[in-house]
Amino acid sequence: MKSKRFEALDARPVNKDGFVTEWPEVGLIAMNGPNDPQPSIRIQNGKVVELDGKSRDEFDMIDTFIADYGIKLDNAEAVNAMDSLELARKLVDINVPRAEVVKLTTAMTPAKICEVIGKMTVLEMMMSVTKMRARKSPANQAHVTNLKDNPVQIAADAAEASLRGFAELETTVGIARYAPFNAIALMVGAQVGRPGILTQCAVEEATELNLGMRGFTAYAETVSVYGTEPVFMDGDDTPWSKAFLASCYASRGLKMRFTSGTGSEVQMGYAEGKSMLYLEARCLYITKAAGSQGIQNGSVSCVGVPAAVPGGIRAILAENLIATALDLECASSNDQTFTHSDLRRVARSLMQFVPGTDFICSGYSATPNYDNMFAGSNWDADDYDDWIIIQRDLKVDGGLVPVLEEDVTRVRNKAAKVIQAVFRELGLTEISDEEVEAATYARGSQDMPNRNVVEDIKAAEDLLKRGLTGVDIVKALAKSGFEDVATSVYGMLRQRVAGDYLHTSAILTDKFEVISAVNQPNDYNGPQTGYQISDEKWEQLKTIRQAISPENV
Amino acid sequence: MESEELIRQIMDEVMKNLAKDQVSFAKKPAGANGSAGSVSAANYPLGEKMPEKIKSATGKVLSDFSVDKVISGQLTAEDFRIAPETLELQAQVAESVGRDTLARNMRRAAELIKVPDDELLQVYNSLRPYRSTKAELYGIADGLESKYGCTVNAAFIREAADVYEKRGRLKAD
Repeated sequence: MKSKRFEALDARPVNKDGFVTEWPEVGLIAMNGPNDPQPSIRIQNGKVVELDGKSRDEFDMIDTFIADYGIKLDNAEAVNAMDSLELARKLVDINVPRAEVVKLTTAMTPAKICEVIGKMTVLEMMMSVTKMRARKSPANQAHVTNLKDNPVQIAADAAEASLRGFAELETTVGIARYAPFNAIALMVGAQVGRPGILTQCAVEEATELNLGMRGFTAYAETVSVYGTEPVFMDGDDTPWSKAFLASCYASRGLKMRFTSGTGSEVQMGYAEGKSMLYLEARCLYITKAAGSQGIQNGSVSCVGVPAAVPGGIRAILAENLIATALDLECASSNDQTFTHSDLRRVARSLMQFVPGTDFICSGYSATPNYDNMFAGSNWDADDYDDWIIIQRDLKVDGGLVPVLEEDVTRVRNKAAKVIQAVFRELGLTEISDEEVEAATYARGSQDMPNRNVVEDIKAAEDLLKRGLTGVDIVKALAKSGFEDVATSVYGMLRQRVAGDYLHTSAILTDKFEVISAVNQPNDYNGPQTGYQISDEKWEQLKTIRQAISPENV
Repeated sequence: MESEELIRQIMDEVMKNLAKDQVSFAKKPAGANGSAGSVSAANYPLGEKMPEKIKSATGKVLSDFSVDKVISGQLTAEDFRIAPETLELQAQVAESVGRDTLARNMRRAAELIKVPDDELLQVYNSLRPYRSTKAELYGIADGLESKYGCTVNAAFIREAADVYEKRGRLKAD
C-alpha cells in the first residue's frame, strides 16, 4: 500500500527538481572536495615557484596566470601559513575592518581561500558579505528581453524596470541580427524610466564590443572565464585573450565585468575531479589577475548543477563571498531558474538579498518568464510585488521600490513614443501607434502585435553599415522634441570620456554622479554602520499600494 | 551558427568603414593632461571634481562638453572617446585604493586607445586558442609596439605566445 503522506509529498513542486548524490571524481561536489589541492605557496626571487601543491613546471595556463598576476605576493607566504579557522573568523568579525581582510584574502591562494570559507556557515558567510561587499549601498540588475525581440516592448519594459529601481539593465537577443535594435531600445527606454541607468546587450564578444564602441551600451558582462584549461579552450578563450578583451573595453571607456560560476566545468565535462567552489575560486583569481573591476558569479546559468548536490546553495553564497573578499564588484546571479519550488527559489535568494550585494540579481527578469531569453529566471515581473513585500517584511533594501500603476503606464507610454520617434528620425522601420498603445499596457510579448522581422533585421544591419552611433541617437531625440531623454543619453556618453565608472562597483545616480567602491566604500563594522536605510527610503519602501490605512477604513 | 558567422562578417565590414572615418590620433601632444599631475581617490570622480582637466581622445576639454554641442554637431562620436592620459589618472586612482591589477588593466587599455577598432578585434581573435602560431603572435606584438607604442601589451602578447607554446595551444604550422 502507498503512503498517502508520501503520495502528497511526491506531488510537491520540489520533487520535480533534480538531485544527485556527491560524486567527487567527476566534480559533482559543491566544496571541500576530497581531491581539492592542499593550499601552498612558495616564492623565489619574487616569482611563485609553487602554487597549491604544484611546482611551476607542472603549472597549466590558469596556474601560470594566477601565479604571475593574481596574488599579492608581499605577504603571501605569511598569510597562507596562518590558521584557516583564524582567518575565517576575521572574515566574519565585525571588529576586523574590510580593508584589513582584503589585505589577507588577496594574498591567499585559491585553495587557501576555499579552505578558509569552507569553515563558515551560511549565516557567517552572509555576515561576511555584508562587510565585504565593495560598494556601501546594495543595488539590483534586471533582464529586459522578449521572445519576439520587439524593440517597443524592450523600451517600455526598460523604462518600467528603471522606475522600479534597477541600477543596471541587460538585454540579449533571440535573433542575433536584432542586437543593435535591442541595445538602442534598452538604452533609450532605460533613460526614460530614470536617468543614469547602465545598460548592456549580451551577445557574441566582438559584436558586444562593437555595440559598446558605438555608444549603444555602457557596459559588458558576458566575458566568461573558467576554472580548468580544457573548459577555457572550449569557451574559445584563454586568460590572456580575456584580459586583453578587458583592456579593449576600458580603452573605449566602457565598464566591464567578467562572468563565471560553480558548475560550469562539471557541466562541460572537465572538472578534473575538483570541487565546484575550488574551480570557481580559480575563476575569481583569473578575474582579479586580468584587472577586471568585477564579476558576475553565483553559478549563473549552471545553477542546476550545484543546486542538485548537497550544500550547493551554500557554495553559491561562498563564491559570491570570495568575489567580494578579492575586492571585486559582485553581481550575484539569482537569475536563472533552477527549481519548481517557490520555497527553494526564495531560500536561495535570501543568501544575497539579506546581506545585500552590488547587484543582488544579475538579473531579475523584467518580463514574465516566457519572455526571458536567458532561459528563464528565478524572479520575474510577475513577482515584483512579492519582492517588494519581502523587502517591507524584513526592512531590507533589495534594490526595488514600490510603484503606482499610473506611473508605470506613463513611463512605458513615453518610452514607446520615444523609441517610435528615434526609429523615425534614424530612418529605421516604422513603429505604429497601435504598438505604442500595446507596449504601454502589455504584460509581455503575447500582448504585442507582430512586427516585420525581415524589415527590422535589414534596418538593423543597415544602421550598422551607416555607422550610426550614440551621438546620432542624441540628435534624433532632440529633433523629435524629447530634449530630456537626449540630455540623459548624452549624459551616458559623457561618462566614457571621464572613465569614472570603470572603477569597482560603479553605478550612476539620476544626476549622473558616480557611486563606486572608491567614493562610497563599504565601511560596515557592526550594527548601525555601513549601509543604513534612511528614513526617507524606508518611507518609500513601506508605502505599498495594497496596505490598508486607518484613513481608508 | 550561420547567423553568427554572418554578423561577424557584417561587423568586420562596418569596422573597416569606421576606421576610415577615424580622425588622426596623432594630434594630442604628449602629456595633454599633464597639468592634472598625479591624483588619488580624493580627486574622484574625476569627471565631477576636475572636468576642466579631463580631455577626450580628440583633445576637447570635458568641462566644455554639453548636449547642445552634440546637437549642433560641434561634438562628434569621436569626441566621446577616452584619452590615454585620463586612463592613466584613473589607474592612479585605482592604485591609491590598493587595486593594482585594475590599474594595470587601465594602463594596458591606455595604450590600446590608439589602435583602431578593427585591428583591436583582430588582435583579440588572434589571442584565442589555436588561432596563431608563435611567430604570428610575436609579429602582432612587434606591430603594436612599433605602430602604436604598445610596449606593455606587446610584452603581454609575447608572454601569451610562450605560454601557449608550452601548453600546446598554438595553431599548427
